[in-house]
Amino acid sequence: MDNEIVSILKSKFPESILSSVSEDKRIYLLVKREEFYQILSQLKEMGFDHLSDVTCVDMLAQGEFELIYHLWSHTKKIRGIVKTRIPRESPTIKSIVDLWIGAQIHEREGHELFGIRFEGNPNLMPLFLEDWEEIPPFRKDFDIREYVKREYYGEDKGYFGQG
Amino acid sequence: MERTRDILAKDELEEREISFTTIPFGPQHPASGHFHASVKCVGEEVVELTPYPGYLHRGFERLMEYRNHAQNTMLCDRICVLDPFSNEMGYVNVVEKASGIEAPQRGKFIRTIMAELGRILSHITWIGIISMALGLDSGTRIAWGDREKIIRLNELATGGRIYPCYFIPGGVRRDFPEGFKEEILKVLDYIENQMKLYDNLVFYNTTFTMRLENVGILRAEDAVALGITGPNLRASGIATDVRKDEPYDAYPYVDFKVVFKGKGDAYSRALCRRGEIIESISIVRQLLEKIPEGDFRVKWGLTKKVPSGEAYFCCEAARGELCFHMVSDGTERPYRVKVRGPSFSHTLAGFPHLAKGVYIADIPAIYWSLDPCPADMDR
Repeated sequence: MDNEIVSILKSKFPESILSSVSEDKRIYLLVKREEFYQILSQLKEMGFDHLSDVTCVDMLAQGEFELIYHLWSHTKKIRGIVKTRIPRESPTIKSIVDLWIGAQIHEREGHELFGIRFEGNPNLMPLFLEDWEEIPPFRKDFDIREYVKREYYGEDKGYFGQG
Repeated sequence: MERTRDILAKDELEEREISFTTIPFGPQHPASGHFHASVKCVGEEVVELTPYPGYLHRGFERLMEYRNHAQNTMLCDRICVLDPFSNEMGYVNVVEKASGIEAPQRGKFIRTIMAELGRILSHITWIGIISMALGLDSGTRIAWGDREKIIRLNELATGGRIYPCYFIPGGVRRDFPEGFKEEILKVLDYIENQMKLYDNLVFYNTTFTMRLENVGILRAEDAVALGITGPNLRASGIATDVRKDEPYDAYPYVDFKVVFKGKGDAYSRALCRRGEIIESISIVRQLLEKIPEGDFRVKWGLTKKVPSGEAYFCCEAARGELCFHMVSDGTERPYRVKVRGPSFSHTLAGFPHLAKGVYIADIPAIYWSLDPCPADMDR
């Protein structure tokens, strides 16, 4: 069944699917960002009704962010893992809130921790951090140790900013 | 329910210049855990609920990038305080998958037994918490007392009561102590006996049923769209369980049924958890019968490198689908770990959805019927 899904997708989007693996009731796809939304909406029509997660990976060496959409089908019992890449300088991608409403908070988290703009998401307010003014903290070029030293153990701070 | 929602359409209220009252829910611990929601209401009816998480954000996913895999299993415990074994289970499995090793059979059985005991522990804790939210204080005392029995088992096997730090890539840290099997069976018998008490005191008590029946109805299609999983989804009539659909560790060797209900209200969610305690007791008994002798782990050095690549693993935690995605760059530390905790969707997407149009008094009942874990939500 999983092979069938991959071949349908390949015939519909021959240009956009860069690589595909289907094994053990799982489908892995690497797709171009231009048509990733169409591919996801096609997958949703094919029965992938549950969006499990939206994961961001900071590929600092390649200058890209990798976005991974984890899907699951309650009816077919198959997992779908769709990846796409966006440039690090202009991290913008179309939101999938209109496909899965549950994507809203996952995208909100990705916006806060990686600084990715999800166009079309109605609410991208910070979830976890309060008054954050640095670069998004989960990016690889953000140095946690340097930040902690500066913020909590700086010369003017004393111990935990109380001195 | 529909009628209230019609009357309380937000724009209409603004047009008619009806004044709102905003009430905070939480973040004091006895009310909501470390979680704050601002409840906007007209009179006694809730118009909108805005969640404000972040009180327990410790940035575990980022901290893991600075530590090796053996150290990270200890961070995983802290992701969800009430259900540590499932988080360890997810992490060690994803590391094993990425590095291509497999735990020996005995190790897998031990892990599954502990994970199922963890599920019973988590659900019994939940009985205590929801009893507290509904004003059934004796339920709280008794459930938290019974929780101690399983915590003692944790201590006996692992040395840790709340944070066991027991699983490690390649198996478990140490074998079961002598006579542990009998200890587990004693506790299971005790809990099975206590379930009769819980039925009278909690599940079929009028106070309990009247507060939960027909409250917070989550329809199946809404639940799927919002990303709800676990007992909350099964209470809406969709029998999805990762243990059954993608069996891992020792689950292929046990026979159990997926507990599900059809109505989707808070009471169905409660009954689902009640059924799962009973199923888990039977799973642990089966595993104890079948547990093989032999090694409990393969050797895993502290600085063992994981080949570059990535792995994805899902398991069924007490609250729902728990997934780990790990990217490795060939060093002893992960390049990126993403944890998909079940409470994230339940609290931030499901709770505001269910709270629309209900009475304020139902808010704690709906919230705790979802069994949220703020620690798991914030990570």
